[in-house]
Amino acid sequence: MNPPDALPLERDVATLIVNTLRLKIDPAVIDPEQPLFREGLGLDSIDALELSLAISQTYGYELRSNDPDIKTIFASLRDLCGAIDKNRTK
Amino acid sequence: MNTAPLIALYQPDDILAWEGASPIIARQFLSDVLECADRLPTATAVLNMAQDRYRFLIGLAAAILRRQVTLLPQSTAAKTLADIAARWPDCYCLTDGLDTPVRLPVFHFARGSASVASRFMIPAIPLDQPVVVAFTSGTTGAPSANTKTWKALVNVAHDTGACLGLGGANRPSIIATVPQQHMFGLEASIMLALQHGCAVYTGRPLFPADVGTALEQVPAPRILVTTPLHIKALVAHSAALPSIDRILSATAPLPKELACEAERAFQTQVHEIYGFAEAGSVAARRTTQEDVWRPLDGISMAQEGENWVVRAAYLPKPVPVPDHISVHSDHTFALHGRRTDQVNIAGHRASLIQLSQRLMEIAGVEDGVFFIPDEGGEAMTTRLIAFAVAPGKRIEDIRTALRSLIDPVFLPRPVFLVERLPRNATGKLTREALVKLADECRRNGHRGL
Repeated sequence: MNPPDALPLERDVATLIVNTLRLKIDPAVIDPEQPLFREGLGLDSIDALELSLAISQTYGYELRSNDPDIKTIFASLRDLCGAIDKNRTK
Repeated sequence: MNTAPLIALYQPDDILAWEGASPIIARQFLSDVLECADRLPTATAVLNMAQDRYRFLIGLAAAILRRQVTLLPQSTAAKTLADIAARWPDCYCLTDGLDTPVRLPVFHFARGSASVASRFMIPAIPLDQPVVVAFTSGTTGAPSANTKTWKALVNVAHDTGACLGLGGANRPSIIATVPQQHMFGLEASIMLALQHGCAVYTGRPLFPADVGTALEQVPAPRILVTTPLHIKALVAHSAALPSIDRILSATAPLPKELACEAERAFQTQVHEIYGFAEAGSVAARRTTQEDVWRPLDGISMAQEGENWVVRAAYLPKPVPVPDHISVHSDHTFALHGRRTDQVNIAGHRASLIQLSQRLMEIAGVEDGVFFIPDEGGEAMTTRLIAFAVAPGKRIEDIRTALRSLIDPVFLPRPVFLVERLPRNATGKLTREALVKLADECRRNGHRGL
């Protein structure tokens, strides 16, 4: 189950990640603070690209590699949701 | 001695590379290469892991001048690199970063500022000189080495260029989203550019917005060397992009519909390349207009027993085709999917048998197997599933162990821990049994990460 402090946006984005990447897991098992890439979910740059497409379509937020915060944006579900919340246009 | 020039169709002040929006001219490039060649350690082989395309290119060219062969591992998994290092004992690692995942002597290459020589003499490289070694996953588990001579690289560059109409005054800027250490990336970004007087973009854009920036930084005409997944993301991208004259796609079959959308959206021509590391680029097609593949000049497909092989004057021996094909009387051919044991993810190929062997090498894993699940039609990227019988081990232990053994693209998602594998009376695992097992695991709520 989700830890009690999972926010609504985090639940939505967890579902978006699972559906986009066809992870075949329950979105609720994604710990908002565990790493998304390499360790934790073990995602890679192919996932980053697929995810960026889903994020831009759902939230109108375009990711860029030369964003100085790109490493922290993808650090965890919570960090990603923070960035989406700040930059979303829909 | 037969030779071909290191770079072709450049005048000294022609632009050879774009570092962002800053041009690097051919004269500067040759000076950088000569300076680097002077500083390289003495060895027979170099593992070139430079992330920046220009630094990779300088390292490659300098190694060619020093007659060192450049090793292009298919994977940066520690185990793969260690296997390779064991076969070239005097090999060193050229890197522009800080972390080297393998214990080798390191040559750190931050581009110096070689003073630009006034002389402009393009080195001639013997055609039979071995230049790079591309590794593929062998069936025995150890990576097998495919040596490419300068002739092989130059020929493929000329044939691909002919298919894109390069040469003469047509000298576009080339932007690639694919890594230069991958055979297609090397052939279609670096070799294609350098044999046709083109300017290569030194970055490697990932997201559509990055590709947009790269396109803005270089002058038209532009060629984008990329993959179906990047094309899908670009087509969905809302912002307008600068003009793209040609898109060259490889690593996975490009759906015709997507190729049509891309041609409409960018007013461009989409060309596709079929190839694999053992042979390099083999055939091409204009995806929107033809379903079949045309072998590149000098390539022929021949039947040997039940299998097809690729023949070319620059290949030392015929190379088996890893996919099922049917060849037509006009020499074009159709692809009918990979052979059953083969998997291709983002242009990385491996055999399921080999991946399963690696899984079983992990201490505590008594039995294990990888398989390819059925994906819906819209999935652009296949991902694997693995089952392991490993009493007392956690899924996370297995994932961590696999990370150092296999290429990250093949990391299974999920890994299911099971009590036993559904082996039949002869010890075989049928696909049906594995599909059923995966369904059971999911229904029983296996966490599976």
